[in-house]
Amino acid sequence: MKTKLLATLTSSAIALASAASAEVTLQFWDNQQTESGLSQFQQAAVDRFMAENPDIKVEVTTIPYPEYQQRLLTAVQGGNAPDIATLDQIWVAAFAEAGAVADLSEAAAGAGLSRDQFFGGAWDSASYNDGLYGIPFNVDVWQFNFYNKDLLDAAGVSPSDLTTFEGLRAASEKLTGDGKFGIGLFGHRGEDTVVVMNSFIFSNGGAVLDDAGACALNAAPAVEAMEYVQDLAQFAPEGILNANSGNMRELFLNGSLAIEFWPALEQPTLQKSDINWGFVNGTAGASGKGVGTFGGWNLAVFESSAQQEAAWKFIEFMVREDVNGDVVDLIPANKAAAAPFLEANRQGADDIMAHLSNANPRPLSARYLEVADIQMTLYQDVFSGANVQEAADAACADIDALN
Amino acid sequence: MTRKDNWLIWAFLAPTLTLLGVFLYYPMIGTVIESFYDTSFISPEPRFVGWAVYEKVLNSRQFSEIVWNSVIWTLGVVVLQNLLGFFTAVLLNQGLPGQGVIRALVLLPFVLPGVVTAILWRFMYDPQLGLVNSIFIRLGLFEDSAAWLASSDTAMAAVIFVAVWKGFPFSMLIYLAALQNVDKSQMEAATLDGAGALRRLIDVVLPAIRDVILVNFVLTLILTFNYFDIVWVLTRGGPQNATHIFPTKIFETGFGQFRFGEAATYGVFSILVLAVLVAIYVIVQRATANRRPVA
Repeated sequence: MKTKLLATLTSSAIALASAASAEVTLQFWDNQQTESGLSQFQQAAVDRFMAENPDIKVEVTTIPYPEYQQRLLTAVQGGNAPDIATLDQIWVAAFAEAGAVADLSEAAAGAGLSRDQFFGGAWDSASYNDGLYGIPFNVDVWQFNFYNKDLLDAAGVSPSDLTTFEGLRAASEKLTGDGKFGIGLFGHRGEDTVVVMNSFIFSNGGAVLDDAGACALNAAPAVEAMEYVQDLAQFAPEGILNANSGNMRELFLNGSLAIEFWPALEQPTLQKSDINWGFVNGTAGASGKGVGTFGGWNLAVFESSAQQEAAWKFIEFMVREDVNGDVVDLIPANKAAAAPFLEANRQGADDIMAHLSNANPRPLSARYLEVADIQMTLYQDVFSGANVQEAADAACADIDALN
Repeated sequence: MTRKDNWLIWAFLAPTLTLLGVFLYYPMIGTVIESFYDTSFISPEPRFVGWAVYEKVLNSRQFSEIVWNSVIWTLGVVVLQNLLGFFTAVLLNQGLPGQGVIRALVLLPFVLPGVVTAILWRFMYDPQLGLVNSIFIRLGLFEDSAAWLASSDTAMAAVIFVAVWKGFPFSMLIYLAALQNVDKSQMEAATLDGAGALRRLIDVVLPAIRDVILVNFVLTLILTFNYFDIVWVLTRGGPQNATHIFPTKIFETGFGQFRFGEAATYGVFSILVLAVLVAIYVIVQRATANRRPVA
C-alpha cells in the first residue's frame, strides 16, 4: 500500500511537472455537526488553498451529520467516493480494512507530520495494522461534567465534589428533588451512550478491550464502574433508555438539571444561554483521575482517487497550525492550533487541554460498530437494573465471538 | 385477437415490465442471492456461505424478539386503525353540521410526513416536558411522569398509538366512501321494520361493505408490516429491542453496521411475509370481484 501511494505520488508529480497548467479538481466531503456556520470559514480556507495552489480546484460537499455515514458508505460501495473526506475516528479501521482509504504513512513522514504534533489519542485512532489511514483533523472528549452553579450553590455542593465517584453520587443525591434532577444520564442506542459509560469505565481503571483484543467489560474495574452508574440512575430524569445527550441539554438549559455530560463542543450553546455554568474534567474512580473517551474526525484520502498528490497537499494545508483552527467546529487536532483556538473560543482552555491529553480512544477495531452495538445492549441492560456482572459476561461472549 | 395484436400488446407492456424487472425484481432477487453470502463493508468480496447466515440469524437472541414484535406491531396497528377508522367514518356519515371542516381536521395526521409525526410525538411523550404526562397528571390519573418510550413495558403500545393516530384517517376515508354507497332503500326498509342503529349496522351496513373491510384490512397489513420511519425516529427499535421490527432491524444491520449479508437475510424473511400478505390481498380482491353484481 505504501509503495503504491509513493508510486502514485511520484507519477503524479511527473505528470504535473510536464503539464504545469493542468487543473485538478478535488472532491472534499465533510459533515456538519453543529449550527456554527462553519461552512463560510471552511470555504474561506478552501479559497485560500486554491489561491496558494492555482492548479488545484476544491469542491466542498457538506452533509448533515445524521446522513453522512450512509452517504459516504454508499459512495464508496458504488465506486463514487470523493478524493478526500473526514472520517469519524471509529470508522477508520473499517475503511482501512476494506481497502477504501490510502495509507498516508510515507506521505506524513515526508511532510514531517508526526504523532507529537497532534493529540496522541487522535493520531492513534488513524493508525491501523502498522499503517496511517488518516490525519487527525478535529477532536473532542466525552465527557466534561457541566454544572449549574446556582443549583450547586443552593444545595451546598462544591464543583470539586463532582470530580470523584463518591462526591458525584453524594452531590447528585443532594441536587435531586423539588422537580430538579441531579444528573443527566442517558441510555438510548447511540454512540453518546457508549462514550459516557466508557469514560466511567476508563476512569475506574477499566477498558473495553484488553491489550490482546479480548473483551474486558466483565473485568472487575468495568463492572464496578457500571454498577456505580446503575446506582446513579436514581438521580437522573425518568426515561433514560430513550434519552440522549440532546434531551439532557434541554433540561439543563431550562434549569431543571444540575449536571449534564457533554464534550467541550457544548460550550458555545451554554455561552448563549442564561445558565450560570461551569465544568470539571470527568469523574475519577479507582484510577484516581477522570479519563475521557476521545471523539473526533480524521482526514482521509480515498484509494480510488486519481489525484492523491493534490489530495495530500489539501490535507497538509487543512491541518496546518495557521489553518486548522479556522476550519473545525470541535477542537483543532493540531495541538499548536488547539491552544489559541481554545483560548479564543472556550472557557477553561488549560483544563480542556489536560482532559484531551488524558483521554482514551475507543477500540481500534475494524468491527468497532458491532462492538459498539453490543455495548449499547449491555448499557441498556445496566440501566434497566440487570445484574451487571451477568450482563457483562453475556456482552463479552458476543464481542469475543466476533473474532 | 390476431398475432399482430399480441405483438402490439407486448410492445406496450414492455416498458412497464422492464421497469418492474429493473427496479423491483432485480433488487429482490439480488437480496435473496446476497443472503447466501457473507458480505460486509470490511470484507466486500462476497464469500458464499450457503445457509450459514440463516442459521446465525435464526439462532440469534434477537430473531424471536423481532418476529414477536412484528406480529404485535402489525396486528395492533391494523386492528386499532381499522376500528377507529370505521367508527369515525360512521360518525362522519351522519350529516353532522360542519362535517366538511371536521373531515379536513381528521385527515390532518394522515398528511403529515411520518418523520414529522414521530418527532412531534417524541416531544409529546417526553417524561419531563411532554404533554401526555402533563394531561394524565392534571386529570389525576398519574402521580408521576411515565417514560412511555423508555420502558420495555410501554414502548410498543406507545409506538402503536402513534401509528394508529397517523393511519386511521386513511382507513376512515375508504370506509366513508363505502358507507356513502350503502343502498339507502335497504336502510329505510330496516328502519321501517323497527331495526335500531346497532341492528342496521350489523345486518345492513357491515354486509354491504364487507368486501371493502377485507381489502382495507389486507392493505393496511402490508403497509404496516413495512412501516419504518415512525418506529425508527421514536425508539430506534429500543429500549432493549422492545420495538425492533423487520424494517428497523434491516436498516440497522445494513446501514448502521454494514453487515449486508445478514441484513439481506432479514430482508428475505420480510419478503416471504409480504409475499403471503400480497397473495391474500390478490385472493381477497378476486373473491370480491366475483361477488360484485353484473350490471
